Amino acid sequence: MIEARGIHLKYPDGTSALKEIEIRVEAGDMLYLIGPSGSGKTSLLKLFMGMEVPTAGELIILGESMSYIKGPQLQRLRRRIGPVFQEFRLIKGRTALENVMMGLRFLELSSKELKEQAVNSLERVGLSHKLNALVDNMSWGEGQRVSIARAVARRPALILADEPTGNLDRENAIKILDLLDSFRDASTAVVVTTHATHLIEDRFDSRIVEISNGRIMERAWGEA
Amino acid sequence: MLNIKNNIGYFSKEAKTILKLNLASNLLSIFSVGLILFILILVATGWFISNEAIMKIQSEAEISLYYSEELKAAEVTVLAEKVKATDGVESTQLVTAEEAYSQMVEILGMDAEVLRHFEDNPFSSYIEVKIDIKEIDNVLQQLNTLVGVDYIRDNREVLQSLMDIEKALRLISYMVFIAVGIATLVIVTHLIRSGIYNSREEIITLRLLGAPESFISIPFVLSGLLLALGGGFLAILLSTGVLRLIYGQMLGPLPFIPLPDQGRIISKIVTLTIPLSIVLGVAGSYFGLKSAAES
Ligand SMILES: Nc1ncnc2c1ncn2[C@@H]1O[C@H](COP(=O)(O)OP(=O)(O)OP(=O)(O)O)[C@@H](O)[C@H]1O
Ligand SMILES: [Mg+2]
Repeated sequence: MIEARGIHLKYPDGTSALKEIEIRVEAGDMLYLIGPSGSGKTSLLKLFMGMEVPTAGELIILGESMSYIKGPQLQRLRRRIGPVFQEFRLIKGRTALENVMMGLRFLELSSKELKEQAVNSLERVGLSHKLNALVDNMSWGEGQRVSIARAVARRPALILADEPTGNLDRENAIKILDLLDSFRDASTAVVVTTHATHLIEDRFDSRIVEISNGRIMERAWGEA
Repeated sequence: MLNIKNNIGYFSKEAKTILKLNLASNLLSIFSVGLILFILILVATGWFISNEAIMKIQSEAEISLYYSEELKAAEVTVLAEKVKATDGVESTQLVTAEEAYSQMVEILGMDAEVLRHFEDNPFSSYIEVKIDIKEIDNVLQQLNTLVGVDYIRDNREVLQSLMDIEKALRLISYMVFIAVGIATLVIVTHLIRSGIYNSREEIITLRLLGAPESFISIPFVLSGLLLALGGGFLAILLSTGVLRLIYGQMLGPLPFIPLPDQGRIISKIVTLTIPLSIVLGVAGSYFGLKSAAES
């Protein structure tokens, strides 16, 4: 699903955010990307979504080489990814349901399937009672779950969640991590960034990759 | 791929949201697009009306042929027959001095008093000749060779200046057409751009979710179209109102200007303005999206 070989990322201002990254993610994987603030976690997810292009090395996402991808080809790839953004990126002035449907409208779905898939995924994240609530009025945790619902409603092959535990309390953070974990299956991989290291240390069926200063560090279990 | 049918409701709702997001400035824009189109319609209508009038006047081009006073009645009839047989002449009519006098009384109306100052009838008999304006040179040349012709009064200066006026009007209206077209295009383009600027976060989100550019653009094009059409309707309302007013005034004291049928003008205005607003709206949206995509 993800194959990164020796990738580097240097931003236009000269910041070298990622160096010599080697990662393989297979279908069915649950991968946690951990590391301190500014270590490069979001930058790596941006590469996976085609928001940035590696300055060097080779990156293959869902079979597509990311070095020169653009236009309709990039759009098609993004439709197979379920992104959960650090800042959610929900559309203001719309309800939870409308937001989730927004991510489905340009897929090949009938209007019945569209609505069903959106409602189902909102139920799955525990927001069936908030379908028609405006996202503007939602709490941080609710917004988080709408954004997860939008990401998974499209039944993506790859779920990329950036800092989904944010500033949630321990109990709710664990719930969100469990929820995201529940979407992985034989054809779906989940990648989650977090700095809440203490919450994932006992998740032995997952893989953990630590990034520090843009480089991958060795970890006790699960190799990069 | 793009499921337009499924999303018609969504697109129109989005377009409405885009318009509502900046309601005040959008209403102002509809208003200014409406005023600009109104000016355009006035110029077009003015041109159309004067063109019709000129054509009508030209088609009724007539010259007056005065004959020698020595001619006897029978000879005058023969002359009239000869004139009628000339190429380019459509009809002839004998006008006696008395008829000429009463025609002038009719034209002067209240001012006919002045004619009383003459002891004798100051008018002379003549032959009124209706001709094809395009043949005027030819006709004059032939008529001047006829025996008994004293003097021909052609209205060539009047006809020529009418043609000149028509030419100038046409040029002015072309220029106004272009200027107004560009102004409307710029306004609509600018509006779409600012709409896109207001919605840039949403557009980025949709892009990150893999939405095709056409899916993202349709609500903006739709809102641009609605703005331009709104302006178009406003312009139609304004101009038909003004037209009614002008017609009400003109039919009274200016009966000699041949005005075309009002209903015909209004339907011309509608068939000109609606497609024009559609074209301007779509073109404005297109340029707006293009320039927003580039920045
Ligand atoms: N667009 C950018 N231009 C220049 N430098 C950037 C840009 N985005 C990020 N950086 C820099 O790259 C480095 C890695 O940033 P990144 O956002 O990937 O960190 P992070 O691990 O996600 O941090 P956090 O946990 O705070 O979200 C930081 O030094 C950051 O300042
Ligand atoms: Mg980050």
